Amino acid sequence: MSTVAQVSAQPPARYVSLQGLPIDQRRGEWAMWCTIATEAMLFVCMFGSYYYLGTNKDRWAIDYPPSLKYPFVLLAILLSSSVVLEWGNKQVKRGRFVAARIALWITVAMGLVFLMLQAFEYIEHWKSLTPSTDSYGSIFYTITTLHAAHVIVGLLLLCYVGVLPRYGDSRSSPHRPYATVSMYWHFVDIVWVFIVIFLYVIPTFQGHAHGHFAR
Amino acid sequence: MATAFVEDRLTYLWETPKTVRGWLGTVDHKELGIRYLVTAFVFLLVGGVEALLVRIQLARPDMTFLSPEAYDQIFTMHGVTMIFWYASPILSGFAIYMIPLMIGARDVAFPRLNSFTYWSFLFSGILLYVSPFFRQAPHGGWFAYVPYTLTEYSPGIGMDIYALALIFITISTTANAVNFVVTILRLRAPGMAISRMPLFAYSTLTISLVILFALPALSAACIFLELERRWGMHFFGVAGGGDIFLWQQLFWFFGHPWVYVIFLPATGMVSMIIPVFSRRPIVGYAWIAISTMLTGLVGFGVWLHHMFTVGMSDMAMSFFSAGSMTISIFTTIQVFAWLATIWKGKPVATTSMYYASASVALLVVGGLSGIFTGIIPVDWQVHNTYYVVAHIHYVLIGANVFPVFAGFYYWLPKMMGRMMNETLGKLSFWVMFVGFNVGFFPMHILGLEGMPRRIYTYQPGLGFESGNMVVTVGSFVFGLGVLISVINFFISRKRGELAGPNPWNSDGLEWASDSPPESYELAHIPVVVTRHPLWDDFDETADPENERVLDGGRLSPTTGWLDAEPVGIATMPEDSLAPLFLAVAMFIFFFALVFRHMWIVLAALIAVFFMGCYWMWPRESKEVV
Repeated sequence: MSTVAQVSAQPPARYVSLQGLPIDQRRGEWAMWCTIATEAMLFVCMFGSYYYLGTNKDRWAIDYPPSLKYPFVLLAILLSSSVVLEWGNKQVKRGRFVAARIALWITVAMGLVFLMLQAFEYIEHWKSLTPSTDSYGSIFYTITTLHAAHVIVGLLLLCYVGVLPRYGDSRSSPHRPYATVSMYWHFVDIVWVFIVIFLYVIPTFQGHAHGHFAR
Repeated sequence: MATAFVEDRLTYLWETPKTVRGWLGTVDHKELGIRYLVTAFVFLLVGGVEALLVRIQLARPDMTFLSPEAYDQIFTMHGVTMIFWYASPILSGFAIYMIPLMIGARDVAFPRLNSFTYWSFLFSGILLYVSPFFRQAPHGGWFAYVPYTLTEYSPGIGMDIYALALIFITISTTANAVNFVVTILRLRAPGMAISRMPLFAYSTLTISLVILFALPALSAACIFLELERRWGMHFFGVAGGGDIFLWQQLFWFFGHPWVYVIFLPATGMVSMIIPVFSRRPIVGYAWIAISTMLTGLVGFGVWLHHMFTVGMSDMAMSFFSAGSMTISIFTTIQVFAWLATIWKGKPVATTSMYYASASVALLVVGGLSGIFTGIIPVDWQVHNTYYVVAHIHYVLIGANVFPVFAGFYYWLPKMMGRMMNETLGKLSFWVMFVGFNVGFFPMHILGLEGMPRRIYTYQPGLGFESGNMVVTVGSFVFGLGVLISVINFFISRKRGELAGPNPWNSDGLEWASDSPPESYELAHIPVVVTRHPLWDDFDETADPENERVLDGGRLSPTTGWLDAEPVGIATMPEDSLAPLFLAVAMFIFFFALVFRHMWIVLAALIAVFFMGCYWMWPRESKEVV
């Protein structure tokens, strides 16, 4: 086989050494960013479908907007749980693992309260709207249940981190489980912010602006 | 230089024992890459046989070889198999095997995840192929348009298996994409800055990002379809306030980026192969890299061109028509870069080069018919005709199957240590090339004459007879060509001449290791100083003080994503059975969901959780002190 035109090379001044480098702990967080990106896109598709279905419908959220009683309470619970978890994350960095563990279990408890209150909201809401009522009911319950499923996954991940024997730096995986799972939990909380805006607040304002409530 | 002592330590650390447990639990990317390639190739053969059955039915007018229902099921399974279980996984197979070698890493970033993606890819395929045994395979085309796929018109489990198997493989593909993003951005050898990355790594990185942002639309669509079919919700059915175009919007929002997912890595392979056999560096490296990334990006803005006949505003149609035209600029840049490379180089006529150059030619034909269908009036004329069938097959066979064969003839010597037979290879190439063009070119004419797609037969006297006969003959010739290469593989695997580390005198880092590579690949982590490591006069693995052997455990260096300065040492996991168990639990979950055994579904979900915990539970790893 014929030879190739030589490619000019500038050798480095010294041989590169890999000795003394720290153990890389951050691949898991990179993967979690990717996971959050794809999960966020799933919710973008859900919200897109919500608005796509909402065009030119005889009956939509604006005609009977969901009650605002629960969503803001739920929002407060989730956002403050994120604050607690982030505080715990700081404790991990300082090496106070017991405090971190307590913060994590408080977060779990708050997540459970969230699910319980959402169940109450469903029971109340169910009287006027079910998933099989019409396309509005279907997409409303699908988005909120999908979010609840994410809350459950987040809680299971938190529970797993809660029983892990160690949080500190280690040679073997899982690396930085507390920080990685916190990222997921914050993401789940932020999704709820958008749900409150798109599914609860905007229809209510529109309902007021148009001056008609079906109820 | 590497002493035998260092190599013994590395072998002890990285080698998978040849036991059943080792075989099931291996996380070695070379082993998993080969499994991906073999499994995807089997799906190619299965999908190919389905295509041939379709062609027998269409060879003559008024044939009764297949019943209409059987025909629908077989053409649907052909499309679904080829697009989801062959075209993307086979490229993943090359990437899983080659990317760590190309970038000088000892494995992918998440080896156990890699094992999980293989098993879930396999099991999702098995889930799909359960359906023919119930004589209820999906029958709505690979795009599964509603309302035909709702329970009213499609009772039975066929479309449920379609939706659930797709959600299953979506999980596998997404996990794979995460793995590639992190591998390519973090595990490159010291010195392999982003400006020196192999073009195949560029295309794999691009499609991994595209997968992350495009696949959720498919998941959402399939979730809606299942909820509507099984739980009485209303997303698509107009009676319940649904919208049938919601399915099309979601499906094509995923569907068109997916075209680039199964196309870009193949062009990346062509960009690796053509310079080697033109005996010169590729022309316009940066242009190719940028146009690859831009194809992935602009690919998100063209999906409505699948829906021009739906009816929409002129503004929307103009925008998406223009977007579709824009893509052709990026593809053209790549085509001219390849042509210039051949023009300026000294081409060598190997089988791999035959396939790669043919792929360029066929891509141009498919690309041109794509521009025609991107023009709205032409699209209205040829929509739903064989013209579109001809277009997608020129693009997908020209820019996926031919590059894949080029890749096999180029990289199989690395994987099996023996050269493929060139005479049989060239024979296979010519039979495939002639068969393909005889089989698919007349479809353009049939389409322009008005033969619609997806019909199980046609009446005599419409002028379709001779064209269809030629197409059927051509498709069998094409199949024969594929068969010759399969035979070539089995002969060469045993009797081919030994390949040695770098039989083609290539530039890529993957050719620095032995053929087949050692379990740890290179004893010394390479340092890269140019785009063409093996063509420069710098010795990548020179390491006189043994400062880059990393023989204290399963270790690989991590580097900065832009400049590839070494920043840390990644610890790699041991072999594990957890990924297999997790994939089995998920298979049981989806399988039980098809047959609505909800208690088994719940049990499988709990099993998934505990398998995940078992997987991630901290455990001691092998270390050598």
